[in-house]
Parts: sequence; C-alpha cells; structure tokens
Amino acid sequence: MSIKDGRRSSERRERRLGVSYAAPMGVWFTVFFIAPLVIIILYSFLKRGLYGGVEWEFSLTAYGQMFNPNFGKVLLRTIWISVVATAFCILLAIPTGYAMARSKHQTLLLFLIIIPFWTNSLIRIYAWISILSTEGFFNEILKSLGIIDEGLHLIYNHGSVILVLIYMYLPFAILPLFTTIDKFDFSLLDAARDLGATKFGAIRLVMLPNIRSGLLTAIVFTFIPIFGAYTVPLLVGGKDSTMIGNIIVDQVSKTRNWPLASAFSMILTLVSTVGVIWMMMSSRKEQAQKKNVTNQQKTEQNILDHHTTGGEA
Amino acid sequence: MNGRNPENGRKQVMFHDHRTFSFSNIVMVLVVVFLFLPLFVVVLYSFNSSKGMTWDHASLVWYEKLIFDSPSLWMAFKNSLIIALTSSATATVLGTLAAIGIKWYRFPGKSYITTVSYLPMVLPEVIIGISMLIFFSAVKIQLGMFTIFVAHTTFNLPFVFLLVSARLDEFDYSTIEAARDLGANERQTLLRVIIPSIMPGVLSGFLMSITMSLEDFVITFFVSGPGSGTLPLYVYSMIRYGVSPVINALSFVMILGTMLIAWVFRRFLKTIAANS
Amino acid sequence: MLRNRIAQAMGGMGKRLKGVEVTAGHVTRSYGDFKALDDVSVRIEKGEFFSLLGPSGCGKTTLLRIIAGFDSPDSGTVLFDGKDVLPFPPEKRQSNTVFQTYALFPHLTVYENIAFPLRLKHVDKQEIDRKVREYVHLVQLDEHIDKKPNMLSGGQKQRVAIARALINEPSVLLLDEPLSALDAKLRQNLLIELDELHDKVGITFIYVTHDQSEALSVSDRIAVMNHGKVLQIGTPYEIYEAPATEFVAKFIGETNLYPCTVTSCERYNDEYMMTIDVPSLGRAIYVTDEEPMEIGRGLNFTVRPEKITITIEPPSKQKAGINTFHGIVEEPVYSGFQSKFYVQLDDVGTVVKVFKQHTNFMDDGPEIEWKDLVYVSWSADDGYLVKVIDE
Repeated sequence: MSIKDGRRSSERRERRLGVSYAAPMGVWFTVFFIAPLVIIILYSFLKRGLYGGVEWEFSLTAYGQMFNPNFGKVLLRTIWISVVATAFCILLAIPTGYAMARSKHQTLLLFLIIIPFWTNSLIRIYAWISILSTEGFFNEILKSLGIIDEGLHLIYNHGSVILVLIYMYLPFAILPLFTTIDKFDFSLLDAARDLGATKFGAIRLVMLPNIRSGLLTAIVFTFIPIFGAYTVPLLVGGKDSTMIGNIIVDQVSKTRNWPLASAFSMILTLVSTVGVIWMMMSSRKEQAQKKNVTNQQKTEQNILDHHTTGGEA
Repeated sequence: MNGRNPENGRKQVMFHDHRTFSFSNIVMVLVVVFLFLPLFVVVLYSFNSSKGMTWDHASLVWYEKLIFDSPSLWMAFKNSLIIALTSSATATVLGTLAAIGIKWYRFPGKSYITTVSYLPMVLPEVIIGISMLIFFSAVKIQLGMFTIFVAHTTFNLPFVFLLVSARLDEFDYSTIEAARDLGANERQTLLRVIIPSIMPGVLSGFLMSITMSLEDFVITFFVSGPGSGTLPLYVYSMIRYGVSPVINALSFVMILGTMLIAWVFRRFLKTIAANS
Repeated sequence: MLRNRIAQAMGGMGKRLKGVEVTAGHVTRSYGDFKALDDVSVRIEKGEFFSLLGPSGCGKTTLLRIIAGFDSPDSGTVLFDGKDVLPFPPEKRQSNTVFQTYALFPHLTVYENIAFPLRLKHVDKQEIDRKVREYVHLVQLDEHIDKKPNMLSGGQKQRVAIARALINEPSVLLLDEPLSALDAKLRQNLLIELDELHDKVGITFIYVTHDQSEALSVSDRIAVMNHGKVLQIGTPYEIYEAPATEFVAKFIGETNLYPCTVTSCERYNDEYMMTIDVPSLGRAIYVTDEEPMEIGRGLNFTVRPEKITITIEPPSKQKAGINTFHGIVEEPVYSGFQSKFYVQLDDVGTVVKVFKQHTNFMDDGPEIEWKDLVYVSWSADDGYLVKVIDE
C-alpha cells in the first residue's frame, strides 16, 4: 500500500466515522425540524384549502391578509408589549446581575434565580392568576385591610400580560448578564473612580461597554420568547391583549387558515433569526478583537487544528 | 472590590463597596422576592381548607384529593414520565454521538448539522409546535404519544449536544491518541476512554432533558392527541376549565420536585467539579 | 536511590528491553500551503537518546507524530529496523508516546491508567497487578497508586504517563515536550531521571523539545530543525561548538555573529587557517576550520561570548592567530557566577558580547567596570564560519 493510498483511506475512514457518529442527529433534525420548517415556508405561499389544509396553488393572499388592520394591530401590540417587557427585564437584570456577581453567596443566589425558572411555567402563570384575580390574594389582602370593598380588576389586561411576561423571562436576562458581569474585572471600576468618575459614571462608561456581549445575549434571549409568547396572553390577557402567538394558534386550530398561520410564523422566525445572527456576529467581532493573532501564532494554530481535528491516521 | 485571586481562583473582596443597602443589592432582593412571591402564595393556599383565597384554616384536604382522587392527573403524570425518559434517552444517545463526530472528524455536512442544532433552542416554541403539527398532518402521522416523543427529542437534542460539546472542548485529543497508541481500537477507545471521560456532560444533558421534557407545555399542546395528555396539559385544562385548589397542592409538589432536581443537579455538578 | 530502584525494577523484569533503529527518509508533510516537513531525513540508532530541537512550528512535533503513526507523510519513508511502518496504525507500531499534555485518562486512577494497555490485551489479572506495581514503583508513585490524575502534581502526572508508555515494553519511546508544563527546578530533576531511565531500559528515546539546555544535557545526538528542515545533526558538543548554520549558532546558546568574506585560506597542521574580512569589526581576522573555504565566499563568522577574553592590559601575543580589539565597556551585567559585558569597539562601534566566568579572587584579575577601556581577544580556533542561508 502506498502512502497516498494510506492517506486517502485514512481520510475516507475519518469521513465514514464522522458521518456515522453525526448522521443520526443530522437525519433527525432534517426530518423532524427542517422539513416542518420548509413545509411552513411552502404553505405560506399557498392558497387556503376549503376545509382547512391547503390547495397547491401559488398565492400571496396570506401575506396580504397580514395587513388586515385587525392583524396589523396585533402585530404592533406584540412589538410594543415585547419591547416594554424586555426593557423592564434588562433594567432589573443589570443591577441584579451586578449584585450577584459582587456577592459572597453566588451559588445560593443562582439557586434562588433558577428554582422559579425551572418551576413549571403553567404553575407560575397560575400563581399570578390566583394573586391578581378579582378574588385573588392581593385583593383579599386589600379588602381585609379595609382599603377597598370591591375587588380591583388587576388581571386580563395589557398590564397583567406585561407583568407576567417580565416574571417569566426575567431569569433569561439575569443569567447571561450575571455570567458576563462576573467575568468583568472590577478593579477597572476602581480605576475609573480613582480618575474622577462617579459610581454610576464608572458603571456606565467602563462596565457597560465591557459587558456588551452579555447584554446583547440577555436582550435577544428575552425578546425572542416574549415576542413569540402564547400561553401568557392566553391565560392572563384580556380579549384585546392577544399577541402574534395567539393569532397563529387560532389560525391553525380554529379558523384552519394554514397559509396565514405559516405567514405569521415566518415573521416570528425571521425576527428570531435576525436577533440570533446579530448576537452571534457581535460576539464573533468581540472575539476577533480579543484575538489579534500574529501570523506565526496562526500558523501554529493551523498545525494544532490539524492535530486536533484530523488526528486519525 | 472583587478580583480573582490567582492563587486559588476564588473571589476576593478587596475594596470598599460592600454596603448592604446599595442600590443593586436592594434591586436584587426585590427581584428575588418578586420571583418567589407567587410560589409562596400558591404553597400557602394549598394548605387552606376553603376553596377561595380567603383563609379559613390549615388543612391537608387538597393533598388528600390530589393523591387519592385524581386518577386522570396520575395518568397524565405517567405519560409525562414515559415521554421524559424515552425522549431524553434518545436525545442523549443521538446528541452525544453527534458531538463526538462533530468535534473530532471532518466530513461533508458538518457545518449544516452544527448550525441546524442551534435553531430549535432559539426559535419560539410556538413555531416549533405549529410546524410539527402541520408536518405531522401533512405526512399523516396520528397525533399521540409518538408525536410528543418526537417533538420532545427534537427540542432536547440541542441541549445534550451543547453540553456534551462543552465537555469535549475541555477534553484533550491526545488522550484519544494515547489510547490508540497503547493498543485500543476505535470501539475500545469510544467505550473505555471517550464515553467515561465525558460522562458528566452526558449526564447533565440527560438531566436537563428530563426537566425540560417534564416542563414543556406549548410544543406538547400542539402535537398531543387524544389520551396522550401530559401533566402540563392536565394543569392547563385545570387552569382553563375550572380551577380547583388541588392545583395548589399539585404546584407545591411540583415546586418541591424542581427543588429536588436542582439540588441533585448541584450536588452532581459539585462532585464533577471535585473530580476534574 | 533512584538508580537502585530502577535497577531493582528492571532486574525484576528479568530483561533489558530492545531498542530499534528508526529511520525517516525524505519525509515531507504539508498542511495546505504550510510545509511542516520539507524532505527530512534522520537515522536514529538503536538505543540512542535522540533529540529533535527547534522553535515552535519547526516541524519537530510533526515528525514525531509521523513516527508514532498519528499523522502520515505526503511522501517519504519511516522504517523501524529497516521495516516500513507507515502502513501500520499507532497501536500496531513498537513505539509508545509520552504526550506534552500527559493525556492521562481522567476517569481512571494511576493504577488503572498504567494497567490500561495490559487490560486491552486481556493479560491475566495477577500478571497485570504484578507488572503495574512494578512500574508504579519504578516511577516512585507507590503512595499515589489509587489517586485520580486530577489529584496529582504535574511531575507526578508525567511519571504516570511515562510508566503507562513503558508498560507495553516498546522499542521506541517518543517524548513530545514532556517537561514543558513543569517548573524549572522540577524539570531538571525529571530530566536526570529520564536520562537514568534511558540508561536502564536501553530502548531508543526520541525526545522533542524547544529547550536547548534540555537537549544539550541529555541527548546522545541532536537534530536541530527550523522551517521544516533539519539544519544539523550531531552530538551536543558538535552542535554547540561547531554550529553548521547561522540559525543553529543563534538558537543554541548566545553568540556573536557577523557577515564576512574569505580573503585567504592555507593549510595549517591538519586544519585550514583563513583570513576573513569582517566589515563590522573593521578589519580582517584569523579563523581556523577543518575544511577549506573558497576565497571570496560570503559567510557568517561566529564566536561564543565565553570564548572571548576581556582584559584591561593588552594580551600577550604568545600564540599565533589571536584576534585582539580595543573598546569600551558599555554595559556590565553581573549575574553571580559570571559577568556579561557589552563592549563597544573603537572606530566601528560594533558591540561584542563577552561572558567572563568568575573563579577565585586571585585569578579573577582587576574588576572591570562601566566605561573601562578594555581589550577583547579570542583565538582563531574558537571562531567558526557558518553558512548564511539556512537550507
């Protein structure tokens, strides 16, 4: 056997092994994840079937229907609710993440954040219902204190939707912010204050630019699920606080307008993808800045990469 | 202020700012209270003898009902367990193998698989649920336990893949070469060296999958069929159609379950940290 | 004490292992545009302690990995005792490797790590136990036998790696910068142990390092490599005293190096005495070499700092071929057992490095200080001509 043959056969073997390890997952994702997504994309360009389903005829009707003022209102509402809820999450998460990073009881605090986060989401929503409803915990307390006689209407409106959304997704903002702030070198804050900055000035001018990637992750990780929220507006929202998620589900299960549901899904997918790409690009840029490698190091890295990835001979 | 002590890698408080009532500490405490208040209310009222939110007297009546008088709840719990175990096991096997293949071999389609594996984590659950529902109806697969299993495996896979990949990143490729050098073949290397070394990552992936599977409502909601209701679906119908305080009792049990899993997880992570 | 232990352990094995001769012929290996190895040929003798020395990226590790079987060359041959081993995967070769990162199996104890190769071969349990304990004893880890690798220090991990590589009784032990992760003092101790281990087991050691002092102190022979090529193969003495190229001269130890042109060349006893014109020294000087150089050829002249004498008084001209220059001490650096002087020569302004060993007070002569006017001189025998281009 010549060396060339040996090399070729070892490459073949590597390819065979790699494929046999990764193929099951690849096939699984292709069939059960990519195929469904492709079907949705396809359906969004088709005509609605008479009794649900679709007719195989190209049409932009679904996209046209999205500009129906009723749906337009929902779209706008979804956007502003998501922006407000995300903003609150971030504003609460920054000081919380900071305090956690500075604390001596990090593990305990992490634990405290994670427990509600891991508790079943329906249970958490239910808990808010029992607090906010007309005969709920909050109203009962006010009543027993003699402040009010009739229960206040605290639930089934935009406010309750935003409040519960903040509650549900706050940990998504806290965890990445905590992780980045924890890695931040706090002596930089001392340096800034030594040079004359106030405490908040130091945080704004020195810390925030350094925790950009964590901030971005927090925003994207909070905004995307809120934008696609379904359960929260369904269970604590009023008649007029539906969001895109609810429309999609209604179109599928009630109206059975699959093309329209697909078209709305495309919007959600697009927003999420853009957010994730934005996040990944910015973190990649940051890494590239950090790793300003010389050519020599690059060469070494190349060799190293070869050794670590192509080590089968 | 805090800095890393290079000697032991621990946090070291070096500077003046440890006032207990700083702005950030106050916010943090309020946030923790905010996060726990609803859970606390639910737990408290699970011990209330009356049906409403007016406190009557302490009683275990709802727990009695939960345990002895809720056959459909237990049915749903059984379904949840079956789905959680099967989908987590499948996801763990597929995700682990893929992580190994992606980490160490070059082959066509590698970047496709890597990219695709991140998507289910970032897409809103509604999209995953809807697309699967439409897919299953398009290919005429009856909705039921099987479709739930497929959906759960799909959203569990990325987490296993990610956790095992992270573990593999710490793993020195020379170790595999050493195994080959010392006489192990491909299969022996996989079974005797790679798998045991990445076991902590594999187990965390499995545990994570179990929790997420038990938790999931939205995706399951779309792909479940008659008779395949899971626990979260049961809870949903309880909230939607007739609230019974049994749900309070159930909530406390589930919160306890979460804490137990979190505790096991932490203990487990600690043991790993001590061993590596 | 160590020597005794090794003797005991090896005596217990009842035999000295056999080394093989390792030959790499015209080995070339590229990664894309990068030539890691460019037509490299070395012959490593049976039982030799052979070092591959060079800066990172020079190809030394690639060559080792090709010998081990983790990588295969684009062209060329690798022979063990004349037999082609390229078709065989690492596990089928009579070589074992000690990795830079130790590569211990993190989930196995010291005992299980060392037993790993024997368990794969389904060796009888009692035999495994006997052998593992023998080797654990050999590397002095008896107390740590049940510990996991993360409980061990760097030096201890390295010993486990060595024991694990030796238990298969290989004919070649390949060591890939095994000491680079350890601190200087520990490195010295382990180096001595390694040397003694080599003496006892008697197999071929191929040792990759970027540390010239490691290579010089333990090797039988060294191959100095740079940019994928072998520049010189020789004993530590030859490499240091007679570097073949500019790179070797600069890489091994410190040196003074100046471009020069040969102006005359004549036979002098069994050597050749040459005069060379060195522009940076301002005039022609004498240098001897074993081989004649053609007149007019451009070369580099090199002389080691410790071969140069520094004096306040002019040196007595007893011997022919002494080169003497006058200058001013610009920077004296005292470093304990020796002092370094940077002497700027008159007129040309070139700086010459001079190392002076301190002996006792009487022999040391008057102390030389900053801005002292001094003579620097060296014998024609101590200078060398080296090739300009490293090819």
